[in-house]
Amino acid sequence: MSDWEPKIISFLCNWCSYGAADLAGVSRMQYPPNIRVVRIPCTGRMSPKFALAALREGADGVWVSG
Amino acid sequence: MVTFKLNGKKVQGEEGEYIIQVADRYGVKIPTLCHHKVLEPAGMCRLCTVELFDGRRSRFVTACNYPIWEGMEIHTESELVIEGRKLLVELLLSRCPDVPIIKELATEYIIEKTRFKEENDDCILCGLCTRICEKMGSGAICLTGRGVEMEVDTPFQIQSDVCMACGACASFCPTGHITLEVINNRITNKNARLIPSEYDVGLQNRNPIYIPYAQAVPNAPVIDRETCIHFKTGECKVCTEYCGVNAIDHTQEDEIIEIDVGSIILAPGFQPFDPSKLDNYGYANFDNVMTSMEFERILSASGPTMGHITRISDNKEPKRIAWFQCVGSRDINNCDNSYCSSVCCMYAIKESVIAKEHAGDDLECSIFYMDMRTHGKDFERYYNSAKNEHGVKFIKSRVHTVIELPDSKDLEIRYADENGDIKTDIYDMIVLSVGLETRKETVELAKKLDIDVSKSNFATTSSFTPVSTSRDGIYVCGAFQGPKDIPQSVIDASAAASAAGELLSTSRNKLTKEKEKVPSLNVIGDRPRIGVFVCNCGINIGGVIDVPAVRDYAATLPYVEFVTDNMYSCAQDSQSAIVQLIQSKNLNRIVVAACSPKTHEPLFQETLTDAGLNKYLFEMVNIRNHNSWVHKDNPETATDKAKDLVRMSISKVALMKPLEEAELNVNQAAMVLGGGISGMTTALSLANQGYNTHLLERNEELGGQALNLFKTVKGEDIQANVSDLINEVKKKENIHIHLNTTLENVEGFVGNFKSTFVTDGQENCIEHGVAVMATGAYESQPVEYSYGNDPRILTSLELDKKLVDNDSSLSDLNSAVFIQCVGSRNDERPYCSRVCCTHSIENAIELKHRKPDMNVYILYRDIRTYGERELAYAEARKEGVIFISYKVDNKPVVEIKDGKLTVTVLDHVIGQSMELETDLITLASAIVPYRDEKLAQFFKIPMNDDGFFVERHAKLGPSEFATDGVFLCGLTHYPKPIDESIAHAKAAASRAVTLLARETINTSGTIAETEPGICSSCGVCVEICPYSAPSFIEADARMFPGKTQINPVLCKGCGLCVASCRSGAIHLNGFDNDEIFAQIFAVNE
Repeated sequence: MSDWEPKIISFLCNWCSYGAADLAGVSRMQYPPNIRVVRIPCTGRMSPKFALAALREGADGVWVSG
Repeated sequence: MVTFKLNGKKVQGEEGEYIIQVADRYGVKIPTLCHHKVLEPAGMCRLCTVELFDGRRSRFVTACNYPIWEGMEIHTESELVIEGRKLLVELLLSRCPDVPIIKELATEYIIEKTRFKEENDDCILCGLCTRICEKMGSGAICLTGRGVEMEVDTPFQIQSDVCMACGACASFCPTGHITLEVINNRITNKNARLIPSEYDVGLQNRNPIYIPYAQAVPNAPVIDRETCIHFKTGECKVCTEYCGVNAIDHTQEDEIIEIDVGSIILAPGFQPFDPSKLDNYGYANFDNVMTSMEFERILSASGPTMGHITRISDNKEPKRIAWFQCVGSRDINNCDNSYCSSVCCMYAIKESVIAKEHAGDDLECSIFYMDMRTHGKDFERYYNSAKNEHGVKFIKSRVHTVIELPDSKDLEIRYADENGDIKTDIYDMIVLSVGLETRKETVELAKKLDIDVSKSNFATTSSFTPVSTSRDGIYVCGAFQGPKDIPQSVIDASAAASAAGELLSTSRNKLTKEKEKVPSLNVIGDRPRIGVFVCNCGINIGGVIDVPAVRDYAATLPYVEFVTDNMYSCAQDSQSAIVQLIQSKNLNRIVVAACSPKTHEPLFQETLTDAGLNKYLFEMVNIRNHNSWVHKDNPETATDKAKDLVRMSISKVALMKPLEEAELNVNQAAMVLGGGISGMTTALSLANQGYNTHLLERNEELGGQALNLFKTVKGEDIQANVSDLINEVKKKENIHIHLNTTLENVEGFVGNFKSTFVTDGQENCIEHGVAVMATGAYESQPVEYSYGNDPRILTSLELDKKLVDNDSSLSDLNSAVFIQCVGSRNDERPYCSRVCCTHSIENAIELKHRKPDMNVYILYRDIRTYGERELAYAEARKEGVIFISYKVDNKPVVEIKDGKLTVTVLDHVIGQSMELETDLITLASAIVPYRDEKLAQFFKIPMNDDGFFVERHAKLGPSEFATDGVFLCGLTHYPKPIDESIAHAKAAASRAVTLLARETINTSGTIAETEPGICSSCGVCVEICPYSAPSFIEADARMFPGKTQINPVLCKGCGLCVASCRSGAIHLNGFDNDEIFAQIFAVNE
């Protein structure tokens, strides 16, 4: 097993998923520290360009949630 | 400051500190079993022994109680130290071979087996218990005996009088030698017990100082004086030693504050019924019988099992769960609560569906009920889907016996099914759907305030003033007015505010204070000068993430001019410091790495404004909720993540521009559509609060459906009350009534609507700031039960009309039959019309009163007399009204033969068909909305499948639409009786006044903007915007004709148009492409 860890860029809707991630914190749920959150006002704001840019920057995964 | 060497590194500490304190600060771990930061060191365990070199020779000292001095050299991990420690651990292991903490140490120091004789002790004589006992101020225990005889005990081994049963000794004991049992059996003669958490209904425990629950507002700890030891002995104060900001003040005392008020609103709520007094369900004795409130905690992700459903007795996952309805409601045999609690049917269904979601479809859920009362908006659909899609079983029965099986602790129940057969069944778990009741304290409060309560202990109100108590100026809302669910409580709350607002309207704005405005700095064109504030949040962030490292890292990033870290960035002193730093360091962009922007962004934005900086030149980095709290076992990667997130935000904030919030004037007039009870009540409430109101009615007279109604369930005369209301509305100078009127067009938006309507063929136009939809609903025409073929077959409203007119035909009746759910709860209208059960029962009682020997039958599916309406149901049965239930697949049959009217229905109890000959059939026909598509278009308001308008939020926004400035009330929202319609109408007025009273509104700065120069006029944005914010610039405009523009008032900043614009002509302020790309590009260093 290598110790390689993926870096995942997550685009979270301010109203639901971002809030849910806050609540996961309040509830002290533990999850791997591999995501980097970009807060967006709504997943309607999500553009394919963001996903492509993230991958081009070396992200190993893109997660859109909203 | 004392400087010395720790493991070869120079470190510093304060004079008088001990080695272990300094080492701890520098992250050097020294093992210890007897040291605790709040206690005086005792040097008992010797495990913290370290090597001290004083310049000439080495010796060994205990780090916990050896003070530091200038120039000393300490080695915590030298060969000799490790060797000594190993021996100590080995000796401890021989004394306490089974104690986990010692076994862990043994593993750490690679000791497989001790060479010494093993004893079977579990006390290591660390003395933590005796020292904490001392600190608590009781000194009940001490180390007794000498040498090998030494042990922890009370003097003379007598159960102690001085022990306060606080349990501090047990919570400090590292080995488990002192437990609650030990305290109760050997130490104290009092009863030591854990403190049950109120929030977790006793399923978990809490400390004497605690945060009541995760979402508590304010989210700060409270001290329970009853259990806090400090308030008994004046000692302890351990909490103050942990609090980094000295926020704990034990000297605070209760204050009596006198305030002058013009009105009082009571919202004291309810308490869940305590079923321990009912012995037939065994709640007090059987582990696996719990209340619905306890089950809510079991289902909750923040509950004791984190949402995992397990039994209390053996932690096994249950396979079969039963819910028992009406526990502590509709019951005068076992308790005094004869009313229906209104909410339990719905929450039981919800709990069963969620239980299945959590545990999987294998879980069998059964609900034992008397009548399924799903009378709320969309509730019937939920009931149907629980039954048909989720497979929840519904059994119509009241269970009379529960027996706990001795070994398995499973529960055997006995009940009679619908056909009267006795059944037994076994369940793993039983949930009692407990009802709502008024607290004893609330009844006392009512007495003190001199207001009347009903026999069921709810505040007495009339149907026409549903939030007014019996005393002028005192209003009531929520479950103290009667058992009710969240949306109804929210409606009541707004209604009570409106009632108080009407009373006090002349005093409005008398006590407001204006905030001083700081002139804003112009930073456009300036090079970014970023200030970064990294928060420790006490130990919430600092305990996991290396905050100084993040801070120092931020200082290396471009445009960063200033960095610091705060213990609590949100504290008042930190806020003032930020204001000063912005001004003194000339900062023009701010990044705060702390908690969530969802909770704290507004606070920091206000701080920016106070410093004269535009509040949008700000970014928050969430390193608590999204980082330290969720990665507490990975401090290093969490620190790396924090650095990444800070870098991303710094890249973004450098590009942020100051944004403007447009200020709009709110036109101080209102338009109310619909002149029924709801519309008139809203208009009157608005007018009483001083606002000009236009009341539009499609018919030629005011009154709406109420003109057809006879009496309320409380016996109030509806016609008299409606005509009073009409007169009051007509007399009111600032209400402008427009009868025979249809709305033709609506333009504009919140604060500035322009509506065109036609009255008697004449067109009119008014300008108004808000609009209220009170357009009502109507009674459906039945298409079954031979309606229309015989004058003796009526709808409910037709019978009311006859009662109002005192029609002579009613006096000759010998028999009357009411048939319920005519056109409701079917495939065409899968909703319950809410009012019909109560309405039919009222009229049945009325007929019985007029002629007591008349045979009156009510054929029903479920009787839904929720709340205190249940009392009318009980009264009807007492008066001799006969209730026969029918199934939807076997409906009653109405026949007209030789002039005789008969109804045939299958009686389930006797299992036989009954033929009822009758003189009158009343059909409880459905309430149907007008389905006004035009209105929906005008105001961009949604409508559900049934044709009722959809409010902003089913629970929390029942009186307003998602479209700003537009409100709703009454039947257009959902069928409801008069008292609820009036409360809803007042609530809509209240919500409207929150806008009108502000006179101006600010739009958000984070909205979309078009660049007309590159717009290709494709119209995608106009098409997809859910808020209709983009529009085409008129073709004859001088600038950019045919291009699109975005109305900043309507735009909610979702960015849908931005992502969809093919030309890239739309920018979303605050979340523009550049800004989001900057974050993405900064993901890697």
